Amino acid sequence: MAANSTLLPSQDFREALRRRGGEAASRCYQCATCSGVCELAPDEAPFPRRLMLWAQWGLADRLAADPAVWLCHQCNDCTVHCPRDAKPGDVVQVIRALVIEKLAFPSLLGRLVGAARSSWLLLLGLPIAFWVALLAATGHLAVPAGLPQNWAYEQLVPHLFIYSVFFPVAAWVILAAGVSGWRFWDLLACNGSRQGSFIVSLWPVLGEIATHKRFGICGTAKPRQLGHLTLMWGFVGAAVTSGLLIVGIYLQHLAMPLALSHPYKILGNLSMVLLLIGVALLVGNRLGDAKVAGASNGFDTFFLGVVVLVVLTGTAVELTRLMGDASLGLTLYVVHLGVVTSLFLTFPYSKFAHMLYRTLALVHVRMTGMDAKLS
Amino acid sequence: MERLGVFLCTGCGIGDALKAEGLTALADELGAASCQTSPCLCAPEAVADIRAALESGTIGGALLAACSARAKTEAFAFDPARHVVGRVSLREQVVWSHPAGDEDTQTLAEDLLRMGYARLSKIGLAKPLAETIERTVLVVGGGLAGLTAARTAADLGHPVVVVEKAAALGGSLAAVEGLVPDRPPYDSLHDNHLPRLVAELSSHAEVRIFASSTVKAITGQPGQFHVELATPAGEVTLAAGAIVQATGSRPYDASKLGHLGYGSSPNVITAPELDAMLAGGGLKRPSDGAVPQRVVFIQCAGSRDPEHLPYCSADCCSATLRQVATIHRAHPDVETAVVYRDMRTPGQLERFYLAVQEQPGSLFTRGEVAGVSGNGHLQVALRDTLLGEGTVLDADLVVLAVGLVPNSADGEAIRIHTDAVKRSQTGESEIQREEARKVAAQYAVYQGTEILNLDYRQGPDLPTLRYGFPDSHFICFPYETRRTGIYAAGTVHAPMDAGQAEEDGAGAAMKAVQCIVAAARGEAVHPRAGDIGIPDFFLQRCTQCKRCTEECPFGTLNEDAKGTPQLNALRCRRCGICMGACPERIISFPDYSVDAVASMIKAMSVPEESEEKPRILALLCENDALPALDIAAGQRMSWNPWVRVIPIRCLGSTNIVWIADSLSRGIDGVILIGCKSGDDYQCHYVRGSQLAQTRLGNVQETLQRLALEPERIRVVELAHDESARIPKILDEFAATIEKIGPNPMKGF
Repeated sequence: MAANSTLLPSQDFREALRRRGGEAASRCYQCATCSGVCELAPDEAPFPRRLMLWAQWGLADRLAADPAVWLCHQCNDCTVHCPRDAKPGDVVQVIRALVIEKLAFPSLLGRLVGAARSSWLLLLGLPIAFWVALLAATGHLAVPAGLPQNWAYEQLVPHLFIYSVFFPVAAWVILAAGVSGWRFWDLLACNGSRQGSFIVSLWPVLGEIATHKRFGICGTAKPRQLGHLTLMWGFVGAAVTSGLLIVGIYLQHLAMPLALSHPYKILGNLSMVLLLIGVALLVGNRLGDAKVAGASNGFDTFFLGVVVLVVLTGTAVELTRLMGDASLGLTLYVVHLGVVTSLFLTFPYSKFAHMLYRTLALVHVRMTGMDAKLS
Repeated sequence: MERLGVFLCTGCGIGDALKAEGLTALADELGAASCQTSPCLCAPEAVADIRAALESGTIGGALLAACSARAKTEAFAFDPARHVVGRVSLREQVVWSHPAGDEDTQTLAEDLLRMGYARLSKIGLAKPLAETIERTVLVVGGGLAGLTAARTAADLGHPVVVVEKAAALGGSLAAVEGLVPDRPPYDSLHDNHLPRLVAELSSHAEVRIFASSTVKAITGQPGQFHVELATPAGEVTLAAGAIVQATGSRPYDASKLGHLGYGSSPNVITAPELDAMLAGGGLKRPSDGAVPQRVVFIQCAGSRDPEHLPYCSADCCSATLRQVATIHRAHPDVETAVVYRDMRTPGQLERFYLAVQEQPGSLFTRGEVAGVSGNGHLQVALRDTLLGEGTVLDADLVVLAVGLVPNSADGEAIRIHTDAVKRSQTGESEIQREEARKVAAQYAVYQGTEILNLDYRQGPDLPTLRYGFPDSHFICFPYETRRTGIYAAGTVHAPMDAGQAEEDGAGAAMKAVQCIVAAARGEAVHPRAGDIGIPDFFLQRCTQCKRCTEECPFGTLNEDAKGTPQLNALRCRRCGICMGACPERIISFPDYSVDAVASMIKAMSVPEESEEKPRILALLCENDALPALDIAAGQRMSWNPWVRVIPIRCLGSTNIVWIADSLSRGIDGVILIGCKSGDDYQCHYVRGSQLAQTRLGNVQETLQRLALEPERIRVVELAHDESARIPKILDEFAATIEKIGPNPMKGF
């Protein structure tokens, strides 16, 4: 940015920040206690003070291009120590939400998910209604007669339906997230010159993510780190299980449902346990000290809510099958399919997108050598 | 006083550490009318015995050889108009600070008894003033501070006269919509209570208000001021007991702030101009009358800047917060940006700052203003911002938060001008007249700036400190000025914001009332509150040298045509600086005189050269140094036993003859310990320690001429809380004296 440029404090951004729960930013008087206590801030480019200042001025472009926004894991050490209760942890959280919204493609969906506080019913209800409509139209909304004792969900909702919905959804999500990711990667380039290849830097970043090493440095957020780690590995396990099942069904011709002792089933159920533990830890954390946990605004709550619903309906679906109640099972399965669709579709626009942005930011930081702390 | 009774206390360890019979024998030797020993002299029965002896006339005065004069003041409270009572500090200065049973300790105690006895035989009864005292408080200036002072004094039952130069009361904040909050939760503007206060005082039975009026002349002294006012209805004369000067301040001249755009665009205005705009029709851009979209406030406009106002006015930050809050209240859509160097919001003001900061559309940002350009639409160029780069802020209206300049008059400078004008006509030679003309030209700017028009030899207005504020040391002596009975309040007094000005007005009124009450009892005010002794001038021997009239820090003395001092006893603070100054030694207090201290010096035992024990005199200021010594003793610190302490009222009361007497008696060294001098003085009489430094500097030169070591005289400055230092100072001085060797005058 050239010196002596005219900066127009952006009233729009400042208002958006207020509306979304970052109003405490205006309390900041730049003492830099936050930067001092932050374990993750690089020595040469400390944050969150800088981010707080830009937020006060409403410098949305600078915030969008700053990897520091994503280096923050919201441990809230800063919020706990802030002498003026400016809640830097919460403010940076809102900044992340606003960056996701700003870079969203198409922007309308970004705004829709950004307003999850009022649009959550639509975001959840529409996919569920879609599944209900699809199944109703094809006559699958009732339990077929003559279901065997050991029935499988495929006999209620054919796999074809699932493929024909989720493959296009996945393609769309990859496209939308790809556009946003590209925009972000481009903006990041303003901050430091990158060296080396993306892939070479990506590997250590993935390793870091796998162990939550960076998250672990965060002081105040230890319980949240454990919850997040468990949940993430639960999701990985569930995704692997899904892949294995496709192999099982079409290459190994396994008969559904699998026995509880089958390795795939064991992996799936183990993932389920991890997901339940993760969800319990994260929700419990949210219900605890707000200063430590961070404020819960609509955007955060929506994402966590969808995750909780996915995990709980998924668990319930399996339990109902084991109990043998096909009618209840079908109902729960439809809801489960709906919330999973919602989770996927909102990926580029919800808090879920942090997976994309944080990974890119970490790769960028590694490629620019900005943060020697963890390399 | 004759026929002295000595009362020796053996409590608090005195009897264990000292040989009481030695002391009683000494009392007999000194010729005491009686000598009694008590195991607890401060017990009611023992005090009753002392009182009975004094009342019955068996003794003419009582010398209490017990604890420090600063201890047990209630138990040993005797009316100084009826009884002469002296104290000898055996507990603090001897037994707490020196080894028990030691020969030097016993010698020290005996010396102190001799000195106390000598002093008591030289002092007499105080003759209290009985004057008619006026109870009215005159308040000059009808702004927030002045009106608060007026109401406070009226509430305390005193008649009040308010003089205001302008046609209406209220001062600079009269038309302001809301004031900075002064009560919890301190987060929003309060309604301006000034109009209510004006109405209340206008109809108050005890308050007389003279608007469009000025002070023509004030003569007399506290309790007896004679005031002449110039009012629209003609001259009014009245009596006043004390005066509060609350003449406020004026904004710094913004025409000197061209670099901040003032004068180059109509849309650059000062904070007082914004107040006037908000009060008279609302927020408008002067160039076209439209409501501005963004208002930028520039803090410290000309303040804390050696080229302009070097000081912080302490008001602009709170005034800007008030204005920003007022603008947001009326125009929620208008954006405000405050560019500051530091926001200074002491105390609860911080909460208001936070609340204003949280308003939508409000931005506070640190930065230096590099310049303001543009005409209708303005660009404020910033440097040294927290963004780490220079930048430019767009603005429709720029408000300069200019500092405050006190509406004070420099009494001393006015006097220099008046005197020079007079000398330029009456001077004895053409050279003198020419010199005087030069001085008169240099001080011509002060001509006609008088506010109080006091008939004081040292000038017609309050003396000012740095930057023209008629303040005193604000931590040690809040509300004090250098004129007894005249108190400055509000922004003329010191830089302060509206809330502080209000408190200051109330405080000054209470000081004024206190002064009137003290005057009615014939008592001194701070710091010798309650002292009823007044100085006596033996004018037959006066040589009209004018040192007393010039050096009195409080302008107590006027001069007649020949230059003979004329005492205004009610202005006197009893510091004794005149007594120290007088070369003829004609000024004495009933209980403090050149002779009394000289007698104490004469009473000290001075060892022969062969004894190899130097003798050191320590003159300790009673305000800070003596309390510090008592504290050190209380902590059982110890110091050199060759030192003999004489408490004095102020270093400035030291008469040089004491030094001469000491040295000619063979005393080996004299150390004077008093308060800090200089710009940030802590001297309770403003310039006493400064004067002592000058006078003693001259003495040291004299010593050198007489081939005596100047190191034998030392002046040390010490604060009240430096008690741990004082034993070290005394020990080091004793070591120096021992090294120099004995005083060659010994034995002459």
